[in-house]
Amino acid sequence: MSTIANEQTNTPATPKPERVSSPGRLALRRALRHTGFWVGGVILAVILIAVLGAPLFTGSDPALQDLSHRLAPPVWHATGDWSHPLGTDHLGRDYLALLLYGGRISLLIGFLTIVLSSLIGVTLGVAAGYCGGTVDLVVNFILTVRLTLPVVLVALVAVAVLGQSLPLLVLVIGGLMWDRLVIVTRATTQQLARRDFITAARSIGSSMPRIFLRELLPNITAPLIVVCTLELARAILLESTLTFLGLGVQPPLTSWGLMVAEAKSQFLFRPWLIAIPGLSLALLILSINLLGDALRDVTAPDGKA
Amino acid sequence: MGMFIVKRLGVTALVLLVTSMISFSLIHLAGDPAVAMAGERATPEQIETIRRLYGFDRPFHEQYLHWVGNVLEGNLGRSNYLKEEVAPILARHLPVTAQLGVLALAFALFVSIPLGVIAALRPNSLIDRAALVIAVTGQSMPSFLSSIALIFGFGVMLRWLPISGTGSFAHYILPAIALGYYASPAIMRLTRSGMIEVLQSDHVRTARAYGLSAWQMIVRHGLRHAIIPVVSVATVQFGYMLGGSVVVEAVFSMDGIGNLAWLSIRRYDVEVIQAILLIVAATYALLALAADLLNAVLDPRIRV
Repeated sequence: MSTIANEQTNTPATPKPERVSSPGRLALRRALRHTGFWVGGVILAVILIAVLGAPLFTGSDPALQDLSHRLAPPVWHATGDWSHPLGTDHLGRDYLALLLYGGRISLLIGFLTIVLSSLIGVTLGVAAGYCGGTVDLVVNFILTVRLTLPVVLVALVAVAVLGQSLPLLVLVIGGLMWDRLVIVTRATTQQLARRDFITAARSIGSSMPRIFLRELLPNITAPLIVVCTLELARAILLESTLTFLGLGVQPPLTSWGLMVAEAKSQFLFRPWLIAIPGLSLALLILSINLLGDALRDVTAPDGKA
Repeated sequence: MGMFIVKRLGVTALVLLVTSMISFSLIHLAGDPAVAMAGERATPEQIETIRRLYGFDRPFHEQYLHWVGNVLEGNLGRSNYLKEEVAPILARHLPVTAQLGVLALAFALFVSIPLGVIAALRPNSLIDRAALVIAVTGQSMPSFLSSIALIFGFGVMLRWLPISGTGSFAHYILPAIALGYYASPAIMRLTRSGMIEVLQSDHVRTARAYGLSAWQMIVRHGLRHAIIPVVSVATVQFGYMLGGSVVVEAVFSMDGIGNLAWLSIRRYDVEVIQAILLIVAATYALLALAADLLNAVLDPRIRV
C-alpha cells in the first residue's frame, strides 16, 4: 500500500526538514490545534453520550403518556420541578426522555443513509474516474439527472407514494444524496489513476477489485471521510425537514424534527417545546459540519485549505 | 461555440426526458392511483370509471407517452382535487414562488458577496472567522427552524413584519431571509476562495504596484474574476430554492408552488404533482444550461 504523502516525502530531491510522520499522525497533530475540530468534536461527543446513554440520564419511558401531567413546564420555569427536568409535551410524555430517545432515531437514520449513499456514490465515482470514456459519460449523465431532480420534492413524493417506514426513509434519502460523493470520488480517482503506482499495479496483472481495495481505496479514504461527514449533516437535515412536513418519521417513533413539528401549535406560549429539540438539532448538524470542515483542513495536502 | 451550445442543448433535453420519466414512474409506482383518487367510500364501478377516464388501465409506457404528448401540446392535465385545469392553477402559484426565489437570491448575494470579499481581504482575521461562523451556522440550520425563529423574533416579539400569507411586499421579507440564508454559505465560501486566489495573482500585484486604490483593485480586478464561479453557483442555487421553498412556504402559509406541491402530495393530486416536478426540474435544467453558457462566454477555456 502506498500513500500520496509517503511518496512525496520519499522522493530523493526533497531534503528531510523534520521527522517523517505518517499522514494519519500528521492529520491528528493538526487536528489537535484546530479550533473547529475541538468545538465540533466536543459538542458531538456530548450529544452522542447523552443520546446513546439515554437510560443513564433519564428514568422515564419516552412512550409513557400521562394526560394528567400534560404540558408541564421545564425545571427553570417558576412552576417546574425535577420529576420532569424539561417538562412534558402535549401528551404528557417526559420531554427529556423524548429528546434523548428521539435523537437516536435522527442519528440512526443519518448513519444508515450515509452507508447507503456512499455505497452508491463510491461505486459510481470510482467507475467513472478509473474507467473514463463511456462509463464516465454515463455516470456524468446519471449525476446530471439526479441533480435536476428537486431533492425535497422527490423525497416527499417518494415517501408519500411508497409508504412511511424507517427503512424506506433511509432508502429514499440515501438514494438521493450520493451526488457529492460521486463528484469527489470521481475527481480523486481520476488523479490517482494516472499515477505510477496504479500503472505498476496494473502492469503486474492485479485484478480490478485488488487495485480498488489495495491501491485506490486507501488513497481516497481521507477525502471520502470528509464528504461522508458533511453528507451526514445534510442527511440529518433532510430527514428532519421531511419529518417536519409530516412525511418522515411517524409516531410512535420520534425524532427531533417530529418534536418541533408537534410543538408548532404551542410555540407562542411554550416556546421551549420548539427551542429544546430545535437547538439540539441545529447543534448536532453544526457539530458534524464543524468536524467535517476541520477534517478537510487537516487532511489537505498543503495543510491549509 | 455553436457546437458547444448544440451539445449542451441536446444533453439538457435528454436529461429532462429521463427526469420526467423518473418522476412519472415514481408517482405511478404506488400501485393503483385510481383507488387513492376515488377516495375511501368509492364503489368498484367508480374506481373503474376513474381508471378508464385517466387511462390507468393502459400499459405504463403508453400512459407516459400520452402524458408527454399532452405536455408538449401545452396540456398539463386536470387536477382531480381542485376540479380545474392544471395550467391556470400553476399560473396562479408560480409568481409567488418566483418572487420569493428572486428576493431570497438577492438577500443571499447581498449578504454573502460583501462578507466573502471582506473575509478574503483579511484571511484569518476576526471578520473572516465571524464570516465562517455565519456560513457554518447557515448550513446547519434547517430552514423550518430559521423560519420559526424569524417568525418568533420579528413577527411575534418585535411585531415588525407579517408572518403569514402573501398580501404585500412585507410578507415576502421573512420567508426570503429564511430561504436565502441557507444558500448564502456556498456563495460566500466561493467568493472568499476566488478573491483570495485572484488577489494573489500577478496582475493584481502589478496593478497594486502601479498605485491603484484598494477599492478599484477589489472591484475592477478582484471581483470581476472571482465572480465567474459565483455566477454559476448562484444560478444553480436559485434552482434549488424553487424546490426547497416547500418548507418555507408551508411555514409562512404562502400559496406558491412549494406549498401547492406539499398540499397536492397529501391530497394525492397526481396531475398537479407531476406538473410541478416537471416545471421545477425544467427550470433547474435550463438555469444550469444558462450558467454553463454564461461561463463559456466569460471564460473561453471552458468551450470544448
